[in-house]
Amino acid sequence: MAAVDGAATGVQDQQQQPPARAVERLNTAVQQQLNLESVRTRANSLYKAISRILEEFDAISRANAVPKWQDVVSQFSMVNLELFNIVEDIKNVSKSFVVHPRNVNAENATILPVMLSSKLLPEMEIDDNTKREQLLQSMQNMPVSAQIEKLKARIDMIGAACESAEKMIADTRKAYFGTRQGPTILPTIDKVQAAKIQEQENLLRSAVNHGEGLRISGDQRQITSTLPVHLVDVFAANDGPQNYSDASGMYLKNTPPLSSTSNNSQGNVLQASGAQLLGRSAASPSGATVNTSFDNTTASPLQYANSPRSSANMMNTPSPQQQSLQQLQQQQLQRQKMTPQHQQLLAQQQFRQSSMNMGQSQLAQLHDMQGQGQQKFQQVISHQHMQFSQPLAAQQLQARQLASGAMHMNQNQMTQGNQLSRQLNQFSSPANNAMFNSAQTTPSQTISNVSAMMSSQPLFTRTQFGMSGGNRNLPSQNLSDQMFNMGAANSGGMMPIHQQQQHNSQGAFGNMQQSGQNLQPNMVQMQNTAQNHPNFQQSRPQNQQ
Amino acid sequence: MECVVQGIIETQHVEALEILLQGLCGVHRERLRIHELCLKSGPNLGVAASEVRLLCDLEQPEPTWTVRHIGGAMRGAGAEQIPVLVRTLNESKVSKNALRFFYSLGYKLDHELLRVGFAFHFQKGAQITVTVSSVNKMLKLHATDEAVPVTPGIQLVEVTAPASSENYTEVVVAVSSFCEYLAPLLHLSKPGVSTGVVPTAAAAAASLMSDGGGTTL
Repeated sequence: MAAVDGAATGVQDQQQQPPARAVERLNTAVQQQLNLESVRTRANSLYKAISRILEEFDAISRANAVPKWQDVVSQFSMVNLELFNIVEDIKNVSKSFVVHPRNVNAENATILPVMLSSKLLPEMEIDDNTKREQLLQSMQNMPVSAQIEKLKARIDMIGAACESAEKMIADTRKAYFGTRQGPTILPTIDKVQAAKIQEQENLLRSAVNHGEGLRISGDQRQITSTLPVHLVDVFAANDGPQNYSDASGMYLKNTPPLSSTSNNSQGNVLQASGAQLLGRSAASPSGATVNTSFDNTTASPLQYANSPRSSANMMNTPSPQQQSLQQLQQQQLQRQKMTPQHQQLLAQQQFRQSSMNMGQSQLAQLHDMQGQGQQKFQQVISHQHMQFSQPLAAQQLQARQLASGAMHMNQNQMTQGNQLSRQLNQFSSPANNAMFNSAQTTPSQTISNVSAMMSSQPLFTRTQFGMSGGNRNLPSQNLSDQMFNMGAANSGGMMPIHQQQQHNSQGAFGNMQQSGQNLQPNMVQMQNTAQNHPNFQQSRPQNQQ
Repeated sequence: MECVVQGIIETQHVEALEILLQGLCGVHRERLRIHELCLKSGPNLGVAASEVRLLCDLEQPEPTWTVRHIGGAMRGAGAEQIPVLVRTLNESKVSKNALRFFYSLGYKLDHELLRVGFAFHFQKGAQITVTVSSVNKMLKLHATDEAVPVTPGIQLVEVTAPASSENYTEVVVAVSSFCEYLAPLLHLSKPGVSTGVVPTAAAAAASLMSDGGGTTL
């Protein structure tokens, strides 16, 4: 303020003595306050900087490139800061230099004289006089210089008070804004924390990109816990994480397409026959559920849960199977109405579904065992049998399993199959007769190549299972209908089957195993027979990992 | 081919990042749960060892499998100037038998991991995918239900975009400009180049999570 006063007096001085000086010079006070030359230089440089930046923008926009925002922002902040500084400096003395022209127009023509007049309004004048008298009254006794000094002292005091008030306001404002917008300085992370974070980051990046820290040692690679849902059907009982036989791989690969197509065809056939037998539409379970069960491969029992163990041991842990079977059961329940035969049918269906998948793996095993690249061993395990109406006898299913398992698509086997079927008939229990008969009709429609290789003792054993209980879970319907003929041989006709192509026997054997595993109620029985059966013993090592 | 950058973010800021991405991308997030199995070829297969990744998307009602082969990255002086990594990539959907198939070919399981998080797919100059996930490892083989995070406090952010050899420059520009929007929260870099965390992350996260202030003076 003193400077402003000084500046004002300086200007007045100039005005009073304009003719005395040819060159106008600024008041020294003003010059101390603000070096106008430097202001001009700074303004000029600022102007150049801004025009340069604008040119850069121009070039960027012409090249259609994306500006680097960090650079742009930093340049802007630079320019902004410089401008701010200049304006701050000028503000101090702007009163002496800044002129704001205001034109006279109709609006302010009348009031302008009043505004420009320096004479106070009457009230204000009276007020002013009284205050002046008040102020000077105390000092009337003193000489004028003393009075002036006192007044100056008062002015200084008031000035100081105002300054301190302003300072306090500015500080408070800064503090208020500071807490709202966060710290103005960049926060730094302390070194210890930064090091920890760096270490973690390296761990993470190497794990994701190179797999460091994620490898399990060889002995820990045994699958000991239950497999997650999405991997259950990927692995089969005899698969380890590391080794795989080629045949099984191929075999499995071929499975899905076959099954899907076969399902439909078979389902139609079966449903027709089934309906006749049961008087109840087999379509619902077979059509709907069977398809879904097939698709829902996760329903297959977790063979893998016990992979290192033999198939016989797998029977000791029926719980995974039960769980999956229960799921299937629920599905089926939703779609079917409970009938007296429902229980049996459900069991059969579950067994069918579960064994279907098992059949696949078992068949893979068979290949291994046989050591023959029977790539034709198609998955006829196909769910042709999936659709099979529930009334199918277990025996028939077994036969089917065997048939599909060993299916080599040899039509030569047809005759043999027929023989087997006849034999099977001898063994069918009364309970299963109806189903068996119905099943018998189907083969003619569906059987294309019945692999004769049915089997041997495994078949026999299997058939026994089927016969023993009404509640039997049907062996996987994977086996084509064709096979049921073969399977029939088991109970009585083991020998004839056995004499037939040996290579198929193993296929049947595998199926047998599957069905054995799937037969929950007959677990114990299966176990016994399986263990005792020489053929089973053969395949057992295959199952072990 | 694809352009890819990776970054890390502290788990406490993931929610803020999600809000930011939601605003930038304009789409809703999709949950992500992928079981990744990395298979390496056996010793006698081929001239050089090769690696194949099988991804199982567990978030779908039916688990879907994808096979992915990551090839070499672009090299050269030009590649070093590009802020993103451009590498060849072959991907295909496969059936669930793929794992058995590769095993039968002689591949062995090298490692597996489980990514759990979310992803945004959107179009902004290129088809960009941003995934924020916690990388989990399984202590027991294939035990995805018992997976634990490799780094509990830090999650991985990945920005990828498919590209071809003709248009990869535009894709690079699109990806890098998108990454700049994420600058307050995290820095993204080529895989393998570590970035550390961003000092402004906490403040940026706080401002993203707040209701915007708006208090009057």
